Amino acid sequence: MQTLIPGYRRDLEIRRYPFYVYVLVPLAALVLQAWLPRVVGRFAYMDLPLLVTIYFALNRRSPIHGTLLGAVLGMAQDGLTQGAIGIHGIANTVVGFLAASIGIRIVVENNIIRMVLNFAFTLLSSALILFIMRGLLGMDWQSNWVDELIRAGGNGVIGLVLFPVLDRTQMRD
Amino acid sequence: MESFLSRYRNLIVLLAALLLQVIGLAVQVRKAGPTVAGSPGEPVVHQSKDGRGVLLIRLWAAGMVTPFERFFHGSSEGLNGLWNDYVDLRHIRDQNKELQQTIDRLRLEQAELHEDALQGQRLQELVKFRENYAYQTVAAQVIGTSGSSQSHVLYLDKGSADGLKPDMAVITGDGIAGKVRDVFLHSAQVLLINDQTSGAGVVLQTTRIRGILRGNAAGQPQVINILADQRIQPGENVLTAGGDQIFPRGLPVGVVEKVVRDAERGSFINVIVKPAANLQHLDEVLVITSLDAHLSAKQQADLATSEDLKGAEAAADAERKKAAAEMEERLPGLRDPNAPAAAGAPAQLGPDGKPVAATPPVPATPKPLPALHPDRFSPGGSGNSANVDSGAGGDASDAAPAAQPKSKPAPKTPQFSGRVQ
Repeated sequence: MQTLIPGYRRDLEIRRYPFYVYVLVPLAALVLQAWLPRVVGRFAYMDLPLLVTIYFALNRRSPIHGTLLGAVLGMAQDGLTQGAIGIHGIANTVVGFLAASIGIRIVVENNIIRMVLNFAFTLLSSALILFIMRGLLGMDWQSNWVDELIRAGGNGVIGLVLFPVLDRTQMRD
Repeated sequence: MESFLSRYRNLIVLLAALLLQVIGLAVQVRKAGPTVAGSPGEPVVHQSKDGRGVLLIRLWAAGMVTPFERFFHGSSEGLNGLWNDYVDLRHIRDQNKELQQTIDRLRLEQAELHEDALQGQRLQELVKFRENYAYQTVAAQVIGTSGSSQSHVLYLDKGSADGLKPDMAVITGDGIAGKVRDVFLHSAQVLLINDQTSGAGVVLQTTRIRGILRGNAAGQPQVINILADQRIQPGENVLTAGGDQIFPRGLPVGVVEKVVRDAERGSFINVIVKPAANLQHLDEVLVITSLDAHLSAKQQADLATSEDLKGAEAAADAERKKAAAEMEERLPGLRDPNAPAAAGAPAQLGPDGKPVAATPPVPATPKPLPALHPDRFSPGGSGNSANVDSGAGGDASDAAPAAQPKSKPAPKTPQFSGRVQ
């Protein structure tokens, strides 16, 4: 439990990244998310824009930053779909806010914690999307929860690889 | 107040972001009115309003992503070649002998040729399909997807500059794939038939049962709102019905994979369809830009031959009618003496061109006038009629009709009339 609570100044500090990282990484996530299903077909169990949102929210430890980044990335995702703009936007906004709020309170360096957080936030995002589809939009929308669980697991695994890579891009004092 | 704002700044920003997006959803989404094909049992359909703001965001997103997708798609073969011909070969060169390298290189080239051959076959299928169906089409390459599991959307490398418009049908040589939704200048968004928001009118080929095709949660197309019917069996072909004004009638959609009962409405079933087109790996597609017939040279030649044959047949038919009319004029007609004269009938023209009066009808029951000086030949006369041998041994009254056969009418029997030329 001690490892989960930030007890050092290093754990509490806000990670900063060069500006181009804030531009290129989300853009690369969007492009890869749109292009990789062409390569791997239906086995594209991942949500890279959501992973990027979670990563920056956890490490920036700023709920405002996480909220805005989630909103922008989510709406960009919506722009690539045929649905209304805001479905992924709302889901990613909530996830970004919660991830940043959690990042303030617990240490997120541990890989297992990162994987669990990615898994949980991906499931939360799916639940929010389902709520928006059915509750707000009143659509006759069905969801395959086996696929959602697999996607959450895929995000957890991909996060194990992606997060250390993104850690290398942060600015050093 | 300032302390309140600073204290709840994070929450306020969150609520503001959510509120803005919810308002944006409410603006974009509205309940659609009853459509032409709408039925009472049809689910409520939501349509995007396609306002300028929505289109801008979508345009920005597509504009950000599609150039990279186009670049990846275009350079993927080059990257594959670079990897196979350089990196992978160098690795092999370190581990194998010269002969093994040659064999591997040949294998790689063979694989590339095989890939080229497969692509050629696919293109050949498309060309054959284009020849079989006389529609105006535009061939396009698939360059990307929506990237969302909730949205079965593809992006094409052709856009409005190539003549694409929304609601055009997208097909492959195997069957239909989807329809064009949003069109940008050099790219277009295609909504696949296995998306939950898609819809296409289909008909089952054998049972002729019609329904609406849309995707389910598992990404399979299914025909919904069908009353339970034992005749629907797996393997039955599903075709487009042609009533949705998007897909032409009779295009293959797929085959019935299984029939499942609707969980909410027990008397209804959903027919799961295995799509004819491989929706997971679409590379080249055709967009039907016009449903007007676009005939190839061979089809135009066939059509001209058909028209010629039809013209010759019509000429022969006219010739036969003319000959029949001439024959009718030459032969005496059958007229019913009891039939009233046709009012307004055209007067017949004689050989000299003057109208000829119609032949007066024969009296129905003509009776011979009594002879002023009856003799033995006079009808009704007695006397010498006994000398006439009727051959039947009858009396004079029996012999009278034999003596005047033309004067005995048969009222119900039509008489020859008309002119004999």
